[in-house]
Amino acid sequence: MNFKHRMVSLMVCGALLSPAWMAMGETPPAPATADAPAADAPAPPASGAPPAELKTLDQEVQGLKKDVVDLNKDLFVLQEQLLFPANTQVALYISMDVGTFFALDSVTVKIDNKEVKNYLYTAREADALLKGGVQQIYLGNLKVGKHELVAFFSGKGPVERDYKRGATINFDKGVGAKYLELKITDRVPKHQPEFMIKDWE
Amino acid sequence: MQGVINTLRPLLLGGLLLTVPFAASPKNVTPDPNGLAPHAVEDLAYGDVLFYFYEDDYFDSITRLLAARQLGRVPHTQEEAELLLGGLYLSLGEHVEAGRIFEALLNKNTSEFVRNRAWFYLGKVWYQRGYLDEAERALRQVSDKMDQRINAERYMLLAQLMMRQGRYDEAIATLSSWHGAPDWTAYAQFNLGVALVRRDRLPEAISYLDRVGNMQTRSEELLALKDKANLALGFALLQAQRAAEARPILQRVRLEGPYSSKALLGVGWADAGMGEFKRALVPWLALRKRSLLDSAVQESFLTVPYAYAQLAATGQAADFYNSAIESFDSELKRIDDSIEGIRSGKLLDRLLNDDKKDTLTWYWQLTTVPNAPESRYLYALLASNEFQEGLKNYRELNFMSRNLDDWRDDVSAYDDMLDTRQEAYNQRVPKADAVLAATDLDRLTQKRVDFESRINEIEKSNDVAALGTPEEQQTWARLKRIEEYLTAHPDDPNLSDIREKHRLMKGVMYWRLSESFRARLWNERRSVKELEGQLKETQKRAVLVKQARVGTPLTTGGYASRVAAVRARIDQLHERMADVSGRQNLFLQSLAIRELEAQKVRIETYQVQARYELAAIYDRISNGPPKSPPSAAPNVTPGTPPNAAPDTPPNPPPQSQP
Repeated sequence: MNFKHRMVSLMVCGALLSPAWMAMGETPPAPATADAPAADAPAPPASGAPPAELKTLDQEVQGLKKDVVDLNKDLFVLQEQLLFPANTQVALYISMDVGTFFALDSVTVKIDNKEVKNYLYTAREADALLKGGVQQIYLGNLKVGKHELVAFFSGKGPVERDYKRGATINFDKGVGAKYLELKITDRVPKHQPEFMIKDWE
Repeated sequence: MQGVINTLRPLLLGGLLLTVPFAASPKNVTPDPNGLAPHAVEDLAYGDVLFYFYEDDYFDSITRLLAARQLGRVPHTQEEAELLLGGLYLSLGEHVEAGRIFEALLNKNTSEFVRNRAWFYLGKVWYQRGYLDEAERALRQVSDKMDQRINAERYMLLAQLMMRQGRYDEAIATLSSWHGAPDWTAYAQFNLGVALVRRDRLPEAISYLDRVGNMQTRSEELLALKDKANLALGFALLQAQRAAEARPILQRVRLEGPYSSKALLGVGWADAGMGEFKRALVPWLALRKRSLLDSAVQESFLTVPYAYAQLAATGQAADFYNSAIESFDSELKRIDDSIEGIRSGKLLDRLLNDDKKDTLTWYWQLTTVPNAPESRYLYALLASNEFQEGLKNYRELNFMSRNLDDWRDDVSAYDDMLDTRQEAYNQRVPKADAVLAATDLDRLTQKRVDFESRINEIEKSNDVAALGTPEEQQTWARLKRIEEYLTAHPDDPNLSDIREKHRLMKGVMYWRLSESFRARLWNERRSVKELEGQLKETQKRAVLVKQARVGTPLTTGGYASRVAAVRARIDQLHERMADVSGRQNLFLQSLAIRELEAQKVRIETYQVQARYELAAIYDRISNGPPKSPPSAAPNVTPGTPPNAAPDTPPNPPPQSQP
């Protein structure tokens, strides 16, 4: 009798004495009908390593993923060099510093009076800027010479009021790539946001 | 639970390691003594990488970071960039590459805070992937001087790792000396209790498991742990033949929780262990109405008739055994169908069908299963690291395969573009050649030089008339001719008036020319300068045109060969992807089938038992009424004789060495 019942219930209750994994955020929430034994069954003692097949596959997958990442990098570089050669390349970036007095909704950029970008921000993107991300908002080509850039920033200013401001810069495009940064900062003494364009030499 | 996952999300290495920079949000403005000090944007490209990182778009982020590194665009943030790269590799599950980067970096002058975080997350990922030795090595590199919660988790991971390796004594030692936040304490105590039970130290285990089983909490996660502790303790006591103590503990388990079926089964066994078969029928009959997918419910299909047999209700026992055999038959058929369904190879695609999030994150897990026949058997499988990690790999390969498809389209467009460029070049070259041939820049340059010499001469000789207007020069020439005539006839008295007029007119003319000479000279010099600038520009352009004429085919050809090379790599990776993805699919499929086969074996065992007991009942009936109450003890192994000891209570279930 003892033997028989032990055999039966072994299958049912094998899981009860496994360590609590759930707290570690590793497993999805257990469904109400979860049939725990297989999941919680302790790993074979001593080795503790994953099955050889899984490990080999895992290593192969990793090698493959790394190759794909490397290829993406090469393609990214090729694309930029092909479409935006350094002698004509102009890149615009946007950054936000603090953002207490301004919540960004959209940015419109004109170069030599021609609109090159009109970008509407999602909350996630605006948040990424606030955390310290710098977005490359435009990558294009310009001839060598003098140019004018005008950027319009729209959003919510102090006291949640609609706020729209512009900033202008005249710049010289030389034979190398040109980088410009549209900066939104807080001017604390005046409780106002400030919009600047920085020419990165 | 979700909260726990979120706090561990890979703000991971980025957010936590980098404590990032540039005065972005108020929290970043305050310097973190443990992390890296906030600072202004030093490399735009690095900020761009962070932008994608903060959007949880790790694939784009790592691509841009690698490109920026190659193009030398992160000169001021090299170390941070390298740390972030390690974190990003980790986020994409590439723990080997991440480990290589961290090990190289963390030996340098990184802060203890950064070092601890990096080793901790690396250890955690290794643990999840089953690389236990590597995980232990990484976790042991972490010092105790770090966030209390993370430190608590580190010790918990180490203890779990030891338990997975069967090193219970070490796990007991680690957990006994562990101190942490109250919610973590519950897990530590539970794990300690479990480790003690596994080392046959039940008396010591009871206090730990009982404490967890009695804790006051409203957290769903901790309530589940509480249930689990009560269940573990209850079954450990049942196994130790302490049914009376086990019963109240098993009754603490919530009826609506995920462990209620096992608790009902245990309560029944506790009653049966005390000889209370009628009372045991209450939980077992309730259990029998639940889904047959649950192994506890499956067992109740045997325990109910067993109890009836013990109560000498032979007819009811036979009915329930018959019903169990039928139910098991249907269930086996369903499992067979599901195994066939899985063998068709569509399981993983069905599992991932509802997964719409097109980004890669290390913490991704499948949390819902599709409404497919085989799904109901796979919950347990989906709760295992082995399956989840394999599924994650499969999903990532799918993502990357789509990524390669997109690039393949782009690369085709590059080909077209290069062809167009080549065509435009072919059209423009004859025109350019004609213009170049018609333009004698040397001659033009010589003319400019001559012109400048002439100006110098005029200035030197103060030849004011040379810069006069054409009319002035004409007048001046006439005056010169008159002067020559007058000089040739010095004694002619008839010319005295004319001589006077000539003197006057020449004086006036000279005055006028002298007055504007400086301005005219300046204008001429300016013209020369402008001409010089224009000539230089023309020469520069001519050089550029000549260079482009020679270089364009080389550049276009260079790009064309690069495009061809990447296309070949795309094709090759696609092939590898299909191969590895297929094998990953087969592997996971085999795991799923193994799980279903195990369930099938269990049900078949139950079925054999039910048949055996039913035969025993019929045998007893046909041989006349028994002299003592029958034993309906389920017979697991075919051929094992039924236990005849009528009054021996069934021994409760739990295994001594799970």
